[in-house]
Amino acid sequence: MNTLAQLFFDAASLGGIYAMAALGIALIFGVMNLVNFAHGQYIAFCVFALIVPSTDAVAVVFLGRAPAFLLIPLLLAVGAAAAVASEYAVFRHMRKATPVAMMISSFALGFVIQNALLATYGGRPKAISLWPELNTPVTVIGASVPLLQVIVILTTLIVVAGLALLLKKTRIGLEMRAAAENFTMARLLGVRANVVITGAFALSGALAAAVALIMATQTGVADVRMGGQIMLVAFIATVIGGLGSLPGAVAAGFLIGAASVLLQAYLPLDARPFRDAFLYTLVIVSLLVRPQGLFVPSSAKPRV
Amino acid sequence: MPDKHTQNRLLAHSTPLILALILLTFVAAVALTGDRALARMAAETLVRVTLVVGLWIFVGNSGVISFGHAGYMAIGAYCSAWLTLKPQAKALFLPDLPAWLASAEWHVFPAAIASGLLAAFVALVSGAAILRLSGIAASIATFAFLAIVYTVYSNWEGVTGATSSVVGLTRYVGPWVALAWAVAAIVAANLYANSASGLALRATREDEVAARASGIDQYRHRLLSLVISGFFTGVAGALFGHSLGVLNPDSFYLGITFIALAMLVVGGIGSLSGAVTGVLVLSLLIEALVRLEQGVSIGAAALALPSGAQEILIGVVMILVLILRPAGLTGGAEFRLRARTSRLSFDQEQTTTN
Amino acid sequence: MSRLGVFDVSVRYGKVPALTDVSLNIGEGERVFISGPNGAGKSSLLKAISGAVPTAHGRIELDGDLLTGQSPEAIARLGLSMVPEGREIFGRLTVEENLRVGTGIRRDADAVEGDIAEIYRAFPILAERRHASAGALSGGQQQMLAIGRALMTNPKLMMVDEPSLGLAPKIVDQVYDTLVALQEERGLTLLIVEQSSVRAGRVGGRMILLRGGKVVGEGDAVAFADKDALTEAYFGKTGKEAAE
Repeated sequence: MNTLAQLFFDAASLGGIYAMAALGIALIFGVMNLVNFAHGQYIAFCVFALIVPSTDAVAVVFLGRAPAFLLIPLLLAVGAAAAVASEYAVFRHMRKATPVAMMISSFALGFVIQNALLATYGGRPKAISLWPELNTPVTVIGASVPLLQVIVILTTLIVVAGLALLLKKTRIGLEMRAAAENFTMARLLGVRANVVITGAFALSGALAAAVALIMATQTGVADVRMGGQIMLVAFIATVIGGLGSLPGAVAAGFLIGAASVLLQAYLPLDARPFRDAFLYTLVIVSLLVRPQGLFVPSSAKPRV
Repeated sequence: MPDKHTQNRLLAHSTPLILALILLTFVAAVALTGDRALARMAAETLVRVTLVVGLWIFVGNSGVISFGHAGYMAIGAYCSAWLTLKPQAKALFLPDLPAWLASAEWHVFPAAIASGLLAAFVALVSGAAILRLSGIAASIATFAFLAIVYTVYSNWEGVTGATSSVVGLTRYVGPWVALAWAVAAIVAANLYANSASGLALRATREDEVAARASGIDQYRHRLLSLVISGFFTGVAGALFGHSLGVLNPDSFYLGITFIALAMLVVGGIGSLSGAVTGVLVLSLLIEALVRLEQGVSIGAAALALPSGAQEILIGVVMILVLILRPAGLTGGAEFRLRARTSRLSFDQEQTTTN
Repeated sequence: MSRLGVFDVSVRYGKVPALTDVSLNIGEGERVFISGPNGAGKSSLLKAISGAVPTAHGRIELDGDLLTGQSPEAIARLGLSMVPEGREIFGRLTVEENLRVGTGIRRDADAVEGDIAEIYRAFPILAERRHASAGALSGGQQQMLAIGRALMTNPKLMMVDEPSLGLAPKIVDQVYDTLVALQEERGLTLLIVEQSSVRAGRVGGRMILLRGGKVVGEGDAVAFADKDALTEAYFGKTGKEAAE
């Protein structure tokens, strides 16, 4: 039964996941004009980091066995490490490359990571059991929703607030914001390029890990293709939100989540499988109407 | 005797001749061996040439990376299937096709043309929506387009068979047929690149603001190049389907997108010769890797690369090229004859990946 | 003792030379102007010193520390500060945040606070707008902010590229008054790119003339305020003769 409250929670929790994924991308783009197509694969990497490498159909939870208070920071660190490692390996050598060249190499990197996962874990989706108790429903404002959804919404709010605080109040946050606006000028004032960039990647990777934890718990599946699916939505959210705008990415993430849930609820049954096609068409329409992004003032010049 | 500038402009058309000659030699050599497996590989390679050259017509000239071309391929591939499959097969497997399509049984050549035209039309519509966006945003939008096509084709059971493969396409695409289309694509690409529109578009690739100040309408030229690009990409899709004989939406998603881009980048995204070079070089590499994946048996021990290793290696090669030599193997230059000397040489047109 | 030494520096953008074998020295506490026609390489010189562009060859030293080949942030940490052409303030940050961007390289938190207070004393308008978005400031105010921001790194040598660009003459007067006062207070060494040799002559200091990427004249700024000397430097002796 689709009550309004249930729809709200569905939309907010899906939107939260998309918002966090989009944030990871917007962070990196803001600082170095890089569209990181490998981001979805950081998420997949973190999901697979939870289980023992094998091609079995049922995953043996490895890291995933650790208690929550240990697992969460550990996986966040894994995500950050994966992102930073990719920066060292690939993007650091492309500091003077054109944004397009960087974009293509991130696409290649994503492909490499995905196939490395494929080679290690096999192509069959695996079942993961991570905190299954979170899928039990609780009653909130009259709706029966899985506890996980509530946690996702809260987590998103905490993450967004935490990130905003970090950017506004800390030294590294100030330097990141300055670098995002004018990298050369920031460097002329002593801001260290490597620190800012590594920091952005680490944050981005941690965000990817958070999304991974949620997706693993929610779907109970580890599939080598999951990176690509979420990455597409995250990118679209970043573009709709206005490339490089963090609040825009978050808002667009929630918007797409809401649109997706509404489409799923109200599309005629026959059209449901095509929900994604409708969603992406809506996206293209919105880009036609407001190419600079929905949440950016009209006067803003294109960032690319 | 025309002046050097005119000479050079005329000699720009030597590029397709040279490229066609290279491909012809390749096919002739394979034909001489009489090896069936080699012939299949040659056909595959040449279909890829049509695809990547088609891709280059848009990406190489506009500087906008398109992740959506596999979508045009899919459209072309299924269109050719709809037109050429026997009506009995269509009635069984694709019951929701409109009557006129279900009863159609065209010859493969007009079907290929129709596939190209349909893809070109879709390119026109999608381009109208996407091409006003700035470069990077447009690229991301092309990804959305790919996802739309993939979602629709993977779910519309009655029309595309959805995830079950469509079988029974006439396998008419051998090396010579593929060669013919590849040469056609190369000639068209060269003509476009040297046309007023192509030149204007390349100007915008270098410096958008300067080009606009010179009165160049970037949007219109991008759209034109995308439509032509869409045509050949659609044909490539049809050729692909008819060389395999089987169609499945998964063949037109991320895998082929990646390979096509890799070939373009490795060869040199700035030039037509680069597109062709990239296809040849990577196709050779892929062939070698496929043999290795199947296992080189040395007595009892069988050395085999794990599946996925091929893609990893190509990905690594692509990244290395982008870091070390972003303009690709050809450096963005074309194979052509230069004025007043009849020696084959490189003519530096441009040297950066945009 | 020379504070800044530039030895045979050449800068090229692709194949286009911007500076060819330029050498100069600036002593501690000096006020040196770089002038010359458009395209002479003045901005390129400052960019090369600050590390924003690489040098094709040559050596640059600040108090004996080698600058060439270092990153811009390393050079800033060695005591060089730059106010670029067009100000380039961080429009989306507040005035105070702009001032604090450069303080990361300093260890002395108390001195930093002291300096911020000083800047607000020197530029009261900035104090008023300290929490406002820097993008909302007027051109002259942004110039003050850019100077204050550059001072916050506690530099030994400050370079200012075209401080008068786009500003009304009265505002330019204010800017230069402030620069001179700050220089005297802090014993700062100043290197200023100023298109108007008349203005430079009025402010006073040493002048180095660049033309076509090379040094073509050097001396007291007042001397170059004279039209003939300038014509000769800009157009060469033949220019004067050709005019006759």
